[in-house]
Amino acid sequence: MIPLVSNTSQKTFISRLMQYPVTRAILALIVIFVIGLVFNGGGAFFKWPAHRDMLRQYSVFGILACGMTIVIITAGIDLSVGSMLGLSAVVFSLLTIHRDWNPWHAIPACIAMGAILGVVSGGLISRFRIQPFIATLAMMVFARGLAKFISGGMKISTSIQQADGSYIYKNDPAIFKMIDSRILDGNLAVVTLIFIFCLFISWLILSRLRIGRYLYAIGGNEEAARLSGVPVIKAKIFAYGMCGLFSAIAGICQAAQEYQGDPEAGVSYELTAIAIAVIGGTNLMGGRGSILLTLFGTLTIGYLDKILSINAVSEAGRLMLTGVIIVSAVLLQRRRK
Amino acid sequence: MKKTRSMLVGIAIVLCLALTAATWSAEKGTPENPWVIGMSQCNLGEPWRVQMNADIKSAADAAPSIKVIYKDAQNDTLRQRAHIEEFIGQGVDLLIVSPKEAAPLTPIIRNAYTNKIPVIVLDRRVVGEDYTCFIGADNKKIGEAAGRWIAGKLNGKGNVVELKGLMTTTPGQDRNSGFRKGIEGTEIKVIFEADMKWLEPDARKEMESALARFDKIDLVYGHNDPAAHGAYLAAKAAGREKNIIFVGIDGLVQEGQAYIKQNILQASFEYPTGGKEAIEIALKILKGETVPKEITLKSRVFTPENLEKGGEWLPEMPASSAPAQPAKKEQ
Repeated sequence: MIPLVSNTSQKTFISRLMQYPVTRAILALIVIFVIGLVFNGGGAFFKWPAHRDMLRQYSVFGILACGMTIVIITAGIDLSVGSMLGLSAVVFSLLTIHRDWNPWHAIPACIAMGAILGVVSGGLISRFRIQPFIATLAMMVFARGLAKFISGGMKISTSIQQADGSYIYKNDPAIFKMIDSRILDGNLAVVTLIFIFCLFISWLILSRLRIGRYLYAIGGNEEAARLSGVPVIKAKIFAYGMCGLFSAIAGICQAAQEYQGDPEAGVSYELTAIAIAVIGGTNLMGGRGSILLTLFGTLTIGYLDKILSINAVSEAGRLMLTGVIIVSAVLLQRRRK
Repeated sequence: MKKTRSMLVGIAIVLCLALTAATWSAEKGTPENPWVIGMSQCNLGEPWRVQMNADIKSAADAAPSIKVIYKDAQNDTLRQRAHIEEFIGQGVDLLIVSPKEAAPLTPIIRNAYTNKIPVIVLDRRVVGEDYTCFIGADNKKIGEAAGRWIAGKLNGKGNVVELKGLMTTTPGQDRNSGFRKGIEGTEIKVIFEADMKWLEPDARKEMESALARFDKIDLVYGHNDPAAHGAYLAAKAAGREKNIIFVGIDGLVQEGQAYIKQNILQASFEYPTGGKEAIEIALKILKGETVPKEITLKSRVFTPENLEKGGEWLPEMPASSAPAQPAKKEQ
């Protein structure tokens, strides 16, 4: 829908601009944003809290999408991020609430656990040549089972059942309150800050480090990458390890925002994370994409959800509209001939 | 390979014989040879259902004459059907089923019932009358009681946010329609309603939207306690939790009642699991006593004032608010 312009140089400028995935991602975001300006939920969209809350809510998805982007760039996929989030939320709650661990021990422990499970997925995929879809599907089921096993199927909250069936009630750990608080005079959630930090780390890996170039090379053509001396196995293990690590961070944020570890947390979050990466413009076939695109993907999906929510659209309508808008956004982004 | 397989088959046969011998050897219902009860749970992913199994377990542990085998269908109707088939095949003495859905599970429950296996149906109904006893609470009545309590608390006037459970499920529909009936004739307005799919993070998100849109919210009615808690967290982040009353449903010790203790909720309406009652009825059936066809569980309301006393029983509702009976055969 580019307006017809008589000036040819201007026309080529626009079409040249549209060749960049970033421009297309921004365009999709602008379209969603304009929809928000029209359907503003009685003016709620014009106030900062709506945007601040959207950023808070989508930080967890965004953190998952950071890891997902790294994996998708290697032409892989990680279905286990949602389960890993649930597992990490349970373990983090268990350690901090029930075991009274110092958060500066509990946080690294959870992150290490996530990274190790990610490395296991990566090892199965690269070393044992199991398809990423299958290996991470297995990890998804396994991690969910582990979360349920550790928690005994119950939410790990500040109400703790004793051996005799009675309950004792603990206070919310300070670390939960800290992660669930806001900075800058209450204008930015701490989880959003954590999301920005994760974006920065992913950007560093993908755009500034040698390993990032390896990941793009593997996604572009794995065989060619191997023949030109890229350590394919190590690089892939690294990618899935990072994805597991980010899932664990997301799990910690989720637990802190719920003030409990829910073994069911994160069900189907992997689909949102994949949608975010893809809607940003990262190619599922691998080799193309960036973390900046994932940031725009997060904002696009986040605003879409927020606009549907402030307008109190019914659930049925939301599902259908989300489907339609995702397809439209992807079509809008398609490279024009 | 062949040798191992035939050995395995041999072991299996011996085991089967041993088992049959054990079951035939003595009279049933003793600690040495207890009655076996098959418990088919539709989804242990929900804390409330975990609580139901825990209630069954604690009641069953106190009765040495029975042994309960648990199966979790993980929210899959066909898997639950397979579980019930397995129980029938294995020849359990009694079945407790908390069905996921009525229609698809009715034939298999009827099959068990006509094969002289007593069936206790817990929480959700099946079609027809081919079961021994139905035990369940009434979501419509609980929703209506919540509506009346809210009307009283707000003096019949105010702005309410309703965070609904999955509206494709009967508990969601009944907690909604009961509540609307309870506030009928008052000046209470539901200014914002959204489906939070029973999930706390979704409830928090929807409440944030409600807070962004409306400056005056008097009360939040959540279809479960996690929803009310999620709404509280959203209001607290906006610095508005002091001016809003939060009400939930379920009243589990570790959730709703704990939130009341922490002054987060002002009321939680109990939705009893019926686990304890199921075992009591099961023991009666196994001993050959007659039991009523239907038991409607009473529920309590928990508030900060009555929590120490163990809550307050809800008054009996008029018959007009009784649940819609499922289609009965031969009527």
